[in-house]
Amino acid sequence: MCFRIRRCCAIATAIRTENLAKLYGTDSEGRPVGLVGLTLEVAEGQIFGLLGPNGSGKTTTLKLLLGLIFPTSGSGEIFDLKLGSPEYKRRVGFLPEGPYFYDHLNAVELLRFYATLFGMSGPDLEKHIQELLELVGMWDRRAIRVRDYSRGMLQRVGVAQALLNDPDLVFMDEPTAGLDPSAQIEMRNVILRLRDEGKTVFLCSHLLKDMEPICDTVAILSRGTVRRLAPMSELLSGDSPRYVLTVAGQSEQVQSRLASLATEVRPREGNLEAVYEDQGAALNAANQIGAAGAKILHVGPERRTLEEVFVEVVGGE
Amino acid sequence: MLRPIYYVAKATFHEAWRRRFLNGILVFAILMIGSSRVLMYMQPGAELRMLVDIGLGSIRFFGLLIAVFMGARLISDEIEKRTIHTILAKPVSRGQFLIGKFIGGVTTVWSNIAIMGVAFYGLVRLTAPRVAAAAEGESWVYSLDLMYGRVLGSIGLIFLELFVVTALAVTFSTIFSWILATISTFFIYFVGQMSEFIHQLADPERGATPVAAIVLGTIYRILPHFEIFDMREAILDPARPLPWEHPAKVVIQTCTYVVVVILIGYLFFNEREV
Ligand SMILES: Nc1ncnc2c1ncn2[C@@H]1O[C@H](COP(=O)(O)OP(=O)(O)OP(=O)(O)O)[C@@H](O)[C@H]1O
Ligand SMILES: [Mg+2]
Repeated sequence: MCFRIRRCCAIATAIRTENLAKLYGTDSEGRPVGLVGLTLEVAEGQIFGLLGPNGSGKTTTLKLLLGLIFPTSGSGEIFDLKLGSPEYKRRVGFLPEGPYFYDHLNAVELLRFYATLFGMSGPDLEKHIQELLELVGMWDRRAIRVRDYSRGMLQRVGVAQALLNDPDLVFMDEPTAGLDPSAQIEMRNVILRLRDEGKTVFLCSHLLKDMEPICDTVAILSRGTVRRLAPMSELLSGDSPRYVLTVAGQSEQVQSRLASLATEVRPREGNLEAVYEDQGAALNAANQIGAAGAKILHVGPERRTLEEVFVEVVGGE
Repeated sequence: MLRPIYYVAKATFHEAWRRRFLNGILVFAILMIGSSRVLMYMQPGAELRMLVDIGLGSIRFFGLLIAVFMGARLISDEIEKRTIHTILAKPVSRGQFLIGKFIGGVTTVWSNIAIMGVAFYGLVRLTAPRVAAAAEGESWVYSLDLMYGRVLGSIGLIFLELFVVTALAVTFSTIFSWILATISTFFIYFVGQMSEFIHQLADPERGATPVAAIVLGTIYRILPHFEIFDMREAILDPARPLPWEHPAKVVIQTCTYVVVVILIGYLFFNEREV
């Protein structure tokens, strides 16, 4: 009852951390290694991306949130329960980085084993296992033992076991690593479907191209510290209201004309892009260039890629 | 509460039985027990002594190998191979996981001993009457029924002994890598075999200094006393005293010891980062 009221009247918090830190010592330059102090709040129903370069503390964060390791200082809660408590784990799914399973089992036996840990059993379970294995494209290969799996097959079964208990919150460490292009698309669809079902998804990755189209909110982590935390749309639109005009081809004539009014002109994918300070300037330039016979491809607000934002925030690391 | 323990134990048991190395030890033990039927004739006049020594010795030795090599990997392997991550992310507490692994390990050890024990007991029942008949008129006489009972008793004691060994191995595996856990368990096992000797060393009346008396006395009290599990001498000699007063007392002492050892393992495992 209480649960219902909370869900409909206010957006509840799935994850909350307060200066959560795990220090493994210092590096050669005396900087702390690990997670330095993470303060986060992840609302239910969104896809949250924790992004950062190798060694920035993403996996460390996940392990802390699941109680596999213990914080040096700080605290955190999941569904208002203390980190590590087995109670919230009923509502949580976890796909580890490069998952490892009992390798003498096949996919069905493995899922059956994990299901028993949730107290699930019976004919409904067998049906459920089949559905999950079909979802991840492993049903036809269900008889193969884990020890003979490829990297991508491990990842697929890892997703199936993470969804076994129909979790409200799913943690995924590098979900798209090791997957072929079509499997990556399937993975993306699985994640988006989870959000459509009202679930919360917490992703860790450094594969920005995979994260850009799916994350609602992003935290950029670098050397154990969050450098930027914002909704994806805000992050990509930037602070300035700059406009971009894209013109087909890269002729020098067009380029010099564009340059006369633009802040910046840059080649991109065989075309030219000119950046203007506001909408008026961009439209004005588009009219002039268009009248001169050049082909206008696009006029619109400047959108940066996640990669650009990432490099800007993290620097040359 | 008990469900996860049961399923972790079951998975552990199944996995252990699939390990070729452990299967190999069992096969070898059975071959060894079988060969005692032939080897016993190497000691004319003491055939039963040979039969019992080789048979029980094999069960104890190979059972020990199984208990140590399996037990010492139970937790450390899960951590080293990272299979523990997905399990502890499920609603399974560390205590449930540890107890489940331990129960799975112990039932594996026990089922191995049971198979060896049945093979050995069957061999004794088949062989002993014939040897006894052939020895008719010799100077030493013994009761076959008493002997059968004591063979069973000895096998029972191996169950208890390896119960303790498995508990030690599991507890070490919550702290160390599997190699170190294996070495530590063997070490404690062999020192534990000499607990009576240590007891004597700790005796001030035999020349122990006060410090040595305290140190060795403490070690003696902490060590498992594996001697009480060995009643081989008494099997063929009804006059020999048993190494303990009452079987129930041995069982209770052993179980208490195991509970304490596992509790210590739990304290370490609860703090262990995986
Ligand atoms: N058990 C440990 N002992 C010592 N240092 C550790 C330990 N685990 C992680 N670290 C260090 O903590 C830092 C963060 O590691 P973490 O695995 O969280 O990085 P990550 O962001 O997941 O990186 P990747 O993208 O490569 O997976 C690294 O510098 C790593 O060397
Ligand atoms: Mg990582």
